[in-house]
Amino acid sequence: MSEPVSRWSAAETIGKGVRAAPALRIGFVTTLGLALVGAAGRVVIPILVQQAVDRGLSPSGVKVETVIRMGVIAFVVICIATWAQRTAVYRLGRRSEEALYGLRVRLFEHIHRLSIADHSEERKGALVARVTSDVETLAQFFQWGGLAWLLDGTLMLLVAGVMLAYDWVLAVVAFIVAAPLAFVLQRVQRHLSKAYDSARSKNANVMTQISEVVSGAETLRAYDAGDRYATHVKKASHERSNSFIRAGTIGAFLFPSGEVFGVLTVSAVVVTGLVRGPDSGLTAGAMVGFLFLTYRFLEPIAEFTEVLDQTQTAVAGMRRVLGVLEIPIGPPEPAVPMTLPVGALAVTIDRVDFSYRSRGDTDEPPVLVDLTAHIPAGQQVAVVGETGSGKTTLGRLIARLADPTAGTVLVGGVPLTRVSNVDLRDRLTVVPQEPFLFEGTIAANLLFARPNLTIADLEAAIDALDLRDWLDTLPEGIDTEVGERGAQLSAGERQLVALIRASLVDPDVLVLDEATSSVDALTEVRLARALERLASGRTTIAIAHRLSTAARADRVLVLDHGRLVEDGTHTELVQAGGTYTRMYDAWVAATSAG
Amino acid sequence: MVQAFRLVRALLQHQKRTFFIAVGGASVFAACTVGSAIVVRKVIDDVITPRFEDGEVSVSTVVSVLGTLILLGLVRAVGVVVRRTWAGRTTWRVTERLSAEVVDRLAEQPVPWHRRQTTGDLITRAGVDAEAATAVLGPLPFASGVVVLVFLSSAWLLITDLPLGIAAVLVFPLLIALNVGYQRRVDRYYNTAQDELGRLSAAVHESFDGVAGVKSFGAEHRETERLAVIADRLRTARLGAVRLRSVFEALLDGIPSVVNIGLLVAGAFRVRSGAMTVGELTSFIYLFTLLVFPLRLIGFTLSELPHSLAGWTRIRSLLDQPVEADPALSLRHGDDNSVVLDDVHYSHDGEREVLRGVNARIDGGRTVAVVGATGAGKTTLLHLVAGLIATDRGSVTVPDGGAHIVFQEAFMLAGTVRDNVSLGAEVAPDAVELALQVAEADFVHQLAEGLDTEIGERGVGLSGGQRQRLALARALVRRPSVLLLDDTTSALDPSTEAKVIANLRAALSTTTVIAVASRPSTISLADDVLYLVDGEVVAHGLHDELMNAVPAYRELIEAFEHDRAAMDAALAEEAT
Repeated sequence: MSEPVSRWSAAETIGKGVRAAPALRIGFVTTLGLALVGAAGRVVIPILVQQAVDRGLSPSGVKVETVIRMGVIAFVVICIATWAQRTAVYRLGRRSEEALYGLRVRLFEHIHRLSIADHSEERKGALVARVTSDVETLAQFFQWGGLAWLLDGTLMLLVAGVMLAYDWVLAVVAFIVAAPLAFVLQRVQRHLSKAYDSARSKNANVMTQISEVVSGAETLRAYDAGDRYATHVKKASHERSNSFIRAGTIGAFLFPSGEVFGVLTVSAVVVTGLVRGPDSGLTAGAMVGFLFLTYRFLEPIAEFTEVLDQTQTAVAGMRRVLGVLEIPIGPPEPAVPMTLPVGALAVTIDRVDFSYRSRGDTDEPPVLVDLTAHIPAGQQVAVVGETGSGKTTLGRLIARLADPTAGTVLVGGVPLTRVSNVDLRDRLTVVPQEPFLFEGTIAANLLFARPNLTIADLEAAIDALDLRDWLDTLPEGIDTEVGERGAQLSAGERQLVALIRASLVDPDVLVLDEATSSVDALTEVRLARALERLASGRTTIAIAHRLSTAARADRVLVLDHGRLVEDGTHTELVQAGGTYTRMYDAWVAATSAG
Repeated sequence: MVQAFRLVRALLQHQKRTFFIAVGGASVFAACTVGSAIVVRKVIDDVITPRFEDGEVSVSTVVSVLGTLILLGLVRAVGVVVRRTWAGRTTWRVTERLSAEVVDRLAEQPVPWHRRQTTGDLITRAGVDAEAATAVLGPLPFASGVVVLVFLSSAWLLITDLPLGIAAVLVFPLLIALNVGYQRRVDRYYNTAQDELGRLSAAVHESFDGVAGVKSFGAEHRETERLAVIADRLRTARLGAVRLRSVFEALLDGIPSVVNIGLLVAGAFRVRSGAMTVGELTSFIYLFTLLVFPLRLIGFTLSELPHSLAGWTRIRSLLDQPVEADPALSLRHGDDNSVVLDDVHYSHDGEREVLRGVNARIDGGRTVAVVGATGAGKTTLLHLVAGLIATDRGSVTVPDGGAHIVFQEAFMLAGTVRDNVSLGAEVAPDAVELALQVAEADFVHQLAEGLDTEIGERGVGLSGGQRQRLALARALVRRPSVLLLDDTTSALDPSTEAKVIANLRAALSTTTVIAVASRPSTISLADDVLYLVDGEVVAHGLHDELMNAVPAYRELIEAFEHDRAAMDAALAEEAT
């Protein structure tokens, strides 16, 4: 996914970024104009000093009235400039926050609409990072770097302009003497960012080690290894300090190099001015004003090198963000949808291949290979196989969370690619292995399936699945908070919530990915009971991790390395002497006492 | 303020020298800044004015004045370098020391203490809090330099021209107050924004992890809206900061400019009356311009103080807790390899008793399965024998070498396979090899770099079963007299489990093994069964005997088999 995107130049990236976040463009010219007016406030004092020295404070006679008049004008200009600067900063800040908000929301929506093929385990972290840390690099940029471009950029331009207007010879001398500073700063900056990269990675190392010593406290105690590992941490922490001290020492040269160039430039300007003398039209006031202007000109340069670095980071972040927005969204909606037939639905899998999209150029190994099966309406099917056999993926294809790489999945005789998303979600529901619960109450998590239902509807669904006794064990009943990712509930209880939620949809096809985590006996009973009620009368495809589930099904499909290797009832397959028989024997051995 | 002083004194206890070098650098900077203002006056009065008003200036004057200007600039730059370098040293050395103290304490405190803490909290204290506590040390030397700067500038301003000086000096407190007030208020917004960002990250993680669920309900848009609400709160917090900042930045540029205008106008009167020169007036204004940035730093330093104080307090509260006695010291030691529990009582926090007078004698070399329902006290019993926790009453007798425990959750540390087996101790390569064999952990030889393969976060991932076998090898390499297995083989498939237990018997015939077991297949491999119900030993004997004599035991074992029974019933149904 990163291939075409990484080729974009910085300018292209910024251009596309602005299009992706249109809020940035609103009133930008006005903001820029205001910033320019604001910058004018910062050259008022040098100009005022020059004017005062030349026209009001000459040794021939001090004209206080002239100075007062100039002071009043300067005061008015300063007031306007201060207001303009405040407004410019605020406008930039508000627009950039709006833009970032818009970008985040676009990313949420886009990522949720991506095919499940783009949501592989390896990519999940990257997708989260796009929305959090990458957008955050942009936020940091707007808060500091963007502001510096706006304020210091306009200031430097304006100061340079004023310098040239005063005396172009002096201005050119000043620019020539100061120019190498940019080069020096860039060099230092390069070393500095390398040094900080290394310091940051050492810091991460320290954090990892600390967390190990804490989480592994019992193990380390039991093996008397606490002191040894504490020594490791201290060593890592010492290395981290060295690294940060090194980076700090390099950074210490950044700011003072501006100082050194400042005095050199001022001296060069003074000497040039002296050599040319009053005959060239230069005045003492202009010389003094120039001193101030030179300092003002050099002031922001040191900051600018940091800003440049930050800008690069932000452009890289933007490039990654745009990269995600470039990924085409999930299984596409059909142009001319076909309506699913009324009543129970059969599921047909016709010569299906599937592989997840890889991160690099090389293709991931296929997960499903040439799979064909027909599941008649109302049949209860269990799909079994070892971890990595492709059974979870098969469930995802039936639910059209992704489209097969080759072949077709049909529901009720209609290819899934011709069914509208709304129609499909009404008729087919998945209960995933680790059901998605978000922070909130049980009721809120249930309403997620059907937001327009009432609490009474929820209660009715709970009764229909015979789960009233379970709900009564919870402190607040249906209003119990489930915590982040439902952590306040046990794994089995999360499954129960998922089953109730699926029942609210009242689907004709149910795809159930059984949880692998062990569940206590009572919840197990409740799960089995609820599931039986939920499944009855619907076409059910259970991705089974427990052979007892398979034993209860009408039919068992056995997958091995993405291929369908066996198909039959539990009894037939136990006796067939194949993959299923082996799985069964191992399971019997584990549950019997010798 | 007293608190702040105490904090700084405590932090600097061992780094006084580096800190004062940094302060020295900052003072040099301050002195040179005021010095450069004096030179600017000379540039104007002795060099520019003579040349432009009188037409002539001597080359030697120009050389000496500009030479001084450049020299001062260089010295000033050196001051900055020294200050920044040594301030960094101070901060990081103190951070290192604090982290070390915390980590040492973590290693020293025994298991019961650790169990009362939350993991995240301890990690924060050793890491983030140590950094926060020392954060104030970074800008402190500069802030001290700024104080010097304010005094020297005030002196110079007052000496140059008393009335004008007084007016200028009075502005300093105003600017400092403005800075401090701004930092306090803007920090509140930044802290809120930081919290909201944390919440947003958590919600995004949650949501993307559950993407299959979101999609299967066609709820992509609703989920986006839910996240958008959190993103909007983040935006609001940030906007507050932006609003405040825009005003402050503008004022900070505007106020000194206005003061400068005032100085210039008032100065015009002074110049006319001959009380000061044009050069003096200009250098006044110049110096004032130079002061604006350093004054900001005072606000910044003061805003770091609350964070540092909070971090310091949290670290102190951890270090001030006394080191608790090591429970292993309460174990008694016997002459042979047997383990004896004599009227052992144990409760968490003195409330409900987990073990209520357990008596048991396990002879050397026997393998005992500890069986019981959830909450019967099986794991607690093992932890007592391991000396991780101490009994409330009664005694536990173990052999001289003590016992080695293998936990239910095999904890792997970042590092190589070898590191994880040795845990830093000196172990002979042969011993490691043998331990791996007995634990059926030969898979390590198939790893890319064998024993030197990095595992954990930055290395290869191991399955639960592989981790358990490595954890077992970790215990075996220590040639334990007593081996405690807390449902250790649960992640192994039955055939591997049988092999491991057979290996253990062959290799460690004199070792006493106490194993918590929940699978019938595991139980059947033990010599004896110790059956626990609600913290009491109900029976201790052969599995077959217990099956016959203890109905509750039989029910428990049958419950383990229930799953299979259910299937057999389903089969029977199908057959008819």
